[in-house]
Amino acid sequence: MLPRAVVVLGLPPVHSCNTSHPRHALQIEALMMEMQNPDTGIKTQTQKVMITNIPHAVAGNDILQWILQRLQITEEEALHLGDLFVKYGYIYPLQEPKNLTLRTDGSLYRFQTPYFWPAQSWPADDTDYAIYLAKKNIKRKGILEEYEKEHYNMLNQKINYKWDFVIMQAKEQYKAGKERKKEDRYALDCQERAYWLVNRTPPGMLNVLEYGLDRATDPNENKVNQVRQLVCWLVKYSEQFLSNDPILSGCLPSNPWVTDDPDFWDLNAKLVEVPTRTRVERWAFNFSELMRDPKGRQNFQLFLKKEFSGENLSFWEACEDLKYGDQSKVKEKAEEIYKLFLAPGARRWINIDGTTMGITVKGLKHPHRYVLDAAQTHIYMLMKKDSYGRYLKSPVYKEMLAKAVVPQETVKKSSNFPFGRRHLRSSPSPIILRQQEEEAKAKEAATTVDITQVMSKLDPSSPLPEGVSAALGFPGRLCQQPAFPACCLGSWSCRCHFPGTSGMLAVTDLGCSASAPSPHTSEGGMPNGCPELPPEAGQPGHLSLPPAPPGGGMAQGRVKLCRPYPLGSNRPSLEQRWVTPQGAGRGGPPQSASNPSGDVHPPKGCILGTP
Amino acid sequence: MVKEECKALLDALNKVTACYRHMVLTIGGTSDSQNLREELKKTRQKAQELAVANRNKLTTVLKDKTVSKEDKAEFERLWVIFSTCLEILEIDMRRALELGHEFPLNVPKKHLIQTGMSGGTSGVAARAMSVQNMKYEAEHNIDVVDLKDLENEINQVGEMMYEMEMKVSVPQWTVEAKQDPGAELKSTISVGASSIGMISVEENKSFCDISKVLAGIIFSAVLIIAIVLAVCVVKLS
Repeated sequence: MLPRAVVVLGLPPVHSCNTSHPRHALQIEALMMEMQNPDTGIKTQTQKVMITNIPHAVAGNDILQWILQRLQITEEEALHLGDLFVKYGYIYPLQEPKNLTLRTDGSLYRFQTPYFWPAQSWPADDTDYAIYLAKKNIKRKGILEEYEKEHYNMLNQKINYKWDFVIMQAKEQYKAGKERKKEDRYALDCQERAYWLVNRTPPGMLNVLEYGLDRATDPNENKVNQVRQLVCWLVKYSEQFLSNDPILSGCLPSNPWVTDDPDFWDLNAKLVEVPTRTRVERWAFNFSELMRDPKGRQNFQLFLKKEFSGENLSFWEACEDLKYGDQSKVKEKAEEIYKLFLAPGARRWINIDGTTMGITVKGLKHPHRYVLDAAQTHIYMLMKKDSYGRYLKSPVYKEMLAKAVVPQETVKKSSNFPFGRRHLRSSPSPIILRQQEEEAKAKEAATTVDITQVMSKLDPSSPLPEGVSAALGFPGRLCQQPAFPACCLGSWSCRCHFPGTSGMLAVTDLGCSASAPSPHTSEGGMPNGCPELPPEAGQPGHLSLPPAPPGGGMAQGRVKLCRPYPLGSNRPSLEQRWVTPQGAGRGGPPQSASNPSGDVHPPKGCILGTP
Repeated sequence: MVKEECKALLDALNKVTACYRHMVLTIGGTSDSQNLREELKKTRQKAQELAVANRNKLTTVLKDKTVSKEDKAEFERLWVIFSTCLEILEIDMRRALELGHEFPLNVPKKHLIQTGMSGGTSGVAARAMSVQNMKYEAEHNIDVVDLKDLENEINQVGEMMYEMEMKVSVPQWTVEAKQDPGAELKSTISVGASSIGMISVEENKSFCDISKVLAGIIFSAVLIIAIVLAVCVVKLS
């Protein structure tokens, strides 16, 4: 704001008992006082007003020359500085009061009285302004300028309770003013007018005080600490991400824009089978990096399933879809999410605290984009603080890291067309990518929907426990209902306990009737074998439901789900374990989920009861 | 009766505050002098006395439960005026302290700002003290000596204001002004023609000039005709 000349003035600091004036203002005031020196100051003239003379007028040019000579700065700077003096109200023009600039012709100026000098701790008060306007009203018999009239009316409303005082004080000040000499009265009026022109700028004039003196913070305050912290963070961030920066560290195999080799894009596709090593390392930087990368989320979901908290991530993704997806379907989406994740007894009930649940449920009455924000944040923080740490140490991640590929660097191909324009390939079109994604999603949905729909068409009398369909449709998920014990994962025959008439499965007529490739009947009234789903090995999150084992030896009332045991293989050791309803994400070693080869270890928490 | 007394006291305080403001405006300018500092001191002491008197009177009235509702509203209005006046007085006192520190009078290096003032403020002070002429009896270094007293008095006023707020709870915003906007114009203030003329002349310079010139022309024309007629009469007779 102020030219550096003021800072390097080298003036002795003016002693002030209070800190109402920041340092640079003190230096201006010191300058002002120096200007008054009869020997070294500015020469004053007399202003002729009608029949009287008013002393102490100075010419603009004299001010400029004095500044030049005193401060030894360039003319441009001196002009600017002088201009600032006028704009801030230390000096005011006499002939054109509204033109607050320093003119170097013979225009006259006068020094403002110290009471009206700009000061941070004495802002121009509304009450004072009201008194001034009332006084002006009296003097001019009601002739005020338009903007002044507006201010007057506005203030009358704003400080109406003080208005009687304003009028009283205005009258008294006016009367007191008459005790002074006529010339002094005139000078006083000029002073006041100049002050209010600076502090209540008329429309169209530049308001210098707008972001100047009204600052709430001290500009001289030491902000080193904050800057240091910021710099430290920036350095740390840069160091961490240096290896991932394609410009600074080069990209492998090669920069497609340079070598026209699209391998880089293929290798770094959103849901590529085997990601690159740098990408996987990036997931370990912080949680948000993991969540940003769809492949990272996929891997994380795999891990969470082992910990039986896969619904957290699914919920988070559903919330993201709600926020950023098609807004015309907000209501339906919100309802679905509620039914699936939030309702008491929901299939994939997430574990959030009572307050958040209350807020969310209330908000769902009028759903909108951000209605699930609170719950989403809660789940995000839960995953970040709880699961993320374990994930980084888990075999899932380590496996991915080991599998990750480090592409070979390719050399730039020599140009085959030395004289022609090369037609460079473009990066994969986002539209095409999105279409592919949609197709993949639809395929996925189609294959998994069967089971759930089928399950819902089951015995209408007994309410279908959500856990069962969940178990079928979404592997790695345990039914986390307070009342229901754990239900099974897909690969093992198990028995689910449901509170009901018999302690046994009410889902005897498990509707595994859809597209059963090998229709063999299971004993005990079990319907035909389970539908076969294409075993999608290596794709976590998909249940493979091969047909029922031939002659599986299932007792009556047992739910026969999926996975046949290859003949001759060992039966899984039938462990009986109870999983607490809120058991997800806590305790227990993570187990590998649906293993197509018929792993002997049952998933934790599955009740494998011997008949 | 009580109402009139309160009003009178309040008017007095108002007057003294206005005069004090005038005087504080002059600190640091060419009208500044030891006299001015003495005037400041006397004026603010008077202001304080009046403030205390006002406060006592108004608090007794406001605590009085036997006052009727309209009277109570009126006293609350007076109370709001009183507290605003006191605020302004306190601010002016603080500024006087600050300016007093910045502009000691006997230091040769510190020059007073040439603000265009040449006259004194004795008239204003006399008005404030309600005397005919001011008597100056202070020492020659009152500008420095007085500052300590001023600090103490500022603290006193601050405390008084705090006490007032604590003891009497009058919500300021419930008070409605009796005066309409523009009421100051209807007052019977004898407006000095010269002062108005001087200031408004600057804006309406051209108008006055033209009207004055016209008047002058007409007058001189009439004068010339009269002279011509007189000469003719003399000549012909």
